[in-house]
Amino acid sequence: MPLVLPKCDAPIPERKAHILVKGSAESIIPACNIQTVPGDMTERGCAFAGCRGVVGGPIKDAIQLVHGPIGCAYYTWGTRRNLSDTALHRKYCFSTDLVENDVVFGGAEKLYSSIIESYKLFPEARAVLVYATCVVGLIGDDLEAVCKKAEKEIGIRVIPFWCEGFRGVSQSLGHHIANKALFDYVVGTKELQDPTPYDMNIIGEFNIDGDAWAIKPLFDELGVRVLSIFTGNASFDDLPPMHAAKLNIVQCQRSSTYIAKMIQDKYGTPFINVSLFGIKQTSKALRDVGKFFNLSDKAEEIIKEETAKIKPKIDYYRRRLEGKRVMVYQGAPRAWHWVRLFEELGMEVVVAATTFGHKDDYEKLVAKVKEGTLIIDNPNAPELVEIIAEYKPDLFVSGLKEKYFSYKQGVPFVNGHSYEEGPYAAFSGFVNFARDIDIAVNHPIWKMIRQKPSLYKEI
Amino acid sequence: MPEKRCVTINPAKMCQPLGAIYAYIGVHGCIPLVHGSQGCATYPRYNFCRHFREPIEVGTTSLSEDAAVYGGARNLVAAIRNIKARLQPELIGILTTCLSETIGDDVRSIIKEFEQDSDGVALIAASTPSYVGTHLTGYDNAVKALVETLAQQNGQGNGELNIITGLINPGDINEIKHILCLMGVGNIILTDISQTMNTPIKFPKPHFPKGGTTKAEIVDTANSLGSIALTPVTGGAAARLLNRKFSLPAVLGPTPVGVKNTDTLVENIAWLADKKIPAELEHERGLLLDAMVDVHHYLHGKRVAIFGDPDIVTAITRFVAEAGMKPVAVCTATAGPDFAKEIKAVAQEYDCSPEVLEKSDLFALDEALKGTGAELLIGNSKGKDLAEDHHIPLVRVGFPVYDRVGYFRYPIMGYNGSIYLLDMIANAILGHKYDQDKLHQ
Repeated sequence: MPLVLPKCDAPIPERKAHILVKGSAESIIPACNIQTVPGDMTERGCAFAGCRGVVGGPIKDAIQLVHGPIGCAYYTWGTRRNLSDTALHRKYCFSTDLVENDVVFGGAEKLYSSIIESYKLFPEARAVLVYATCVVGLIGDDLEAVCKKAEKEIGIRVIPFWCEGFRGVSQSLGHHIANKALFDYVVGTKELQDPTPYDMNIIGEFNIDGDAWAIKPLFDELGVRVLSIFTGNASFDDLPPMHAAKLNIVQCQRSSTYIAKMIQDKYGTPFINVSLFGIKQTSKALRDVGKFFNLSDKAEEIIKEETAKIKPKIDYYRRRLEGKRVMVYQGAPRAWHWVRLFEELGMEVVVAATTFGHKDDYEKLVAKVKEGTLIIDNPNAPELVEIIAEYKPDLFVSGLKEKYFSYKQGVPFVNGHSYEEGPYAAFSGFVNFARDIDIAVNHPIWKMIRQKPSLYKEI
Repeated sequence: MPEKRCVTINPAKMCQPLGAIYAYIGVHGCIPLVHGSQGCATYPRYNFCRHFREPIEVGTTSLSEDAAVYGGARNLVAAIRNIKARLQPELIGILTTCLSETIGDDVRSIIKEFEQDSDGVALIAASTPSYVGTHLTGYDNAVKALVETLAQQNGQGNGELNIITGLINPGDINEIKHILCLMGVGNIILTDISQTMNTPIKFPKPHFPKGGTTKAEIVDTANSLGSIALTPVTGGAAARLLNRKFSLPAVLGPTPVGVKNTDTLVENIAWLADKKIPAELEHERGLLLDAMVDVHHYLHGKRVAIFGDPDIVTAITRFVAEAGMKPVAVCTATAGPDFAKEIKAVAQEYDCSPEVLEKSDLFALDEALKGTGAELLIGNSKGKDLAEDHHIPLVRVGFPVYDRVGYFRYPIMGYNGSIYLLDMIANAILGHKYDQDKLHQ
């Protein structure tokens, strides 16, 4: 019998609304995107993490300047594996390193000097992105004024992000803040010099472990010109002409639908939601885009060719993984993007959870999973530990913080946040995904740790 | 000397909350509770996971906009209640953040309402805003808060020594325990991550990991023979407090890396506990000297740069000088009276003149390395790019080390730890552009 309220939640009945088992009434979704119960040992992060870490951070040739005390900058330095072909954004960490005196007297001057100095030291930078942390919101530094003044001085764009950690209920609001600032300050500020009828943006693709490099060649081959990837491996200069695209496709529909909608509302550019993971979903995305640009034949050709390339490998892994039960816990979209991938590998999702999913994420998730699947919003550490113990999945897919809960309970794990050895996206990435799952699930250690050797039996 | 920069680029320091959590996770049955935004719990957790490769549970009061306006007392009280009810900890180690400090939450008075609770859960409150000090200050404050809240004299000496560790690895703590064991000295390790951050696979998974300093031990620190802070910057406050309040002798450092500093530690233990130094330790010291003799041709005159936490950097600087190497640059993010003084002492003793970078960052170290002809870099994983750019190997020590495995298991302290560090240094040199034809002996 699947559990609904874990035992550990007896003292916090508020959690009941966040946990459900999918029944026949498919419209039911858990309570979500609301304040975490204080002290519930949540896995959530803050708005700063969503803004600096997820959306702004991948812009490869910008000085990523964190305005605040040192910690927030340090912890986002080279952490997320949003790869690029240049090094600035992950190799260097810029901070105004506010100290007590600045908190009392204000940090505006320090911020201004920091922007100027950073640019002088890194004149190759194409923009400066300034992120506000908790304390900056409280002391009320005039970020906009400082950025504007600095912009005049150095002649490149200086963009303020009001992403103090205390905003909102999770990192999700930080995504929105980043979208809004990049839309308001950047998109539409430059016209495209050589527009073509085949210009498209890929939105919500952050090049985790090279995902964008597995995705983009497919569209190149299709005959579509990818103007900008928002924001994986993106140059800052790719962003101003985003409005000139004929179509936007949205991969991460939690963190980045905002900007697709803003572009649609202001410039009339339509957008299509895509799941560029696995054979079926990637094929569908190619078909949808092919249809839009009237390139359907080419799309079918690519699908046929790419599928033929990977099908034998996927079949091999399917034989090794068939029937395995999966617990998947991701930020939000990858939880539902991947349900179909596990199906393609013959695996079954038995527990699905997200850190910061909204209503639309859960609608998509509930629609995709089978009846009887446990769905949890914002699961906390004791719940995860208990659910791993109760469900004993054959595989847990989540992030680094959760990895060791899994290992200590003897459950194979694949890092779905920053990947083991990606990319995991599109056709070629799917093989890596399957391979990493196979490496985890079929490793001999899991049997060994369950066998109690006879020499210790009496102890 | 270049003009002083305002912007920090590639910091060599983290913030107070991380340090405070580091201290709390070495206490048995302790749940650290971060009073602030959720990120202030999540980011340090992430860093611990990638260094120790262990699960770590940290609570947060999940402050948001309304708390920023009306104060976070309600969240803090609810968080303590929830953690008590769900996890049954022995202690809750509360630490503040930029947010809760700036809005002015008075944690000590907010938690007064739990004083009458009969569950025996101790509530510890450390003030640790990120805009003051560094991760080291956070550790120092948290350990101080532990003894300030709990330590109590009972009129009877326990005959033991308090060893305040600082941000060191399980391997180091095990080595210090080994020395104390050889000398027959009972001890209270404050705080002891040797088992809490290095746990076996065991079914069923225990609710709290075995080991860690117990609450009873922290209470008992007031009855010890004295305190030794292995890294004074991250343990000095507690040692001084125990000295002031209970008149326990306090020995602050030096950090026991290398021959002289380990000798000093052993002497201090012997003096405080009134014990003879056993022959086994002399034997281990002899093994270190033997190891140093074995590799002296490889190391003599080799130019080395070191960065990290100040006490560790000064200790390693002395050790590499003992090993005949030439420190050319030493870098720390903090500014304290003892760092430059100790480096100068080493420089005079061993006739070298390393550039001293205090209150500095790795970008400054990058600049400083140009023209020094450094052949080796010693520091944490954040030095990887620096080492690559200067085409020299990196010997990984300190926190965090996340791009290699197992470093937390092994000591660099004590005679045995020094042997391990020495071998790592020599092997790094031999493995990097060393003429393989010269390796026949």
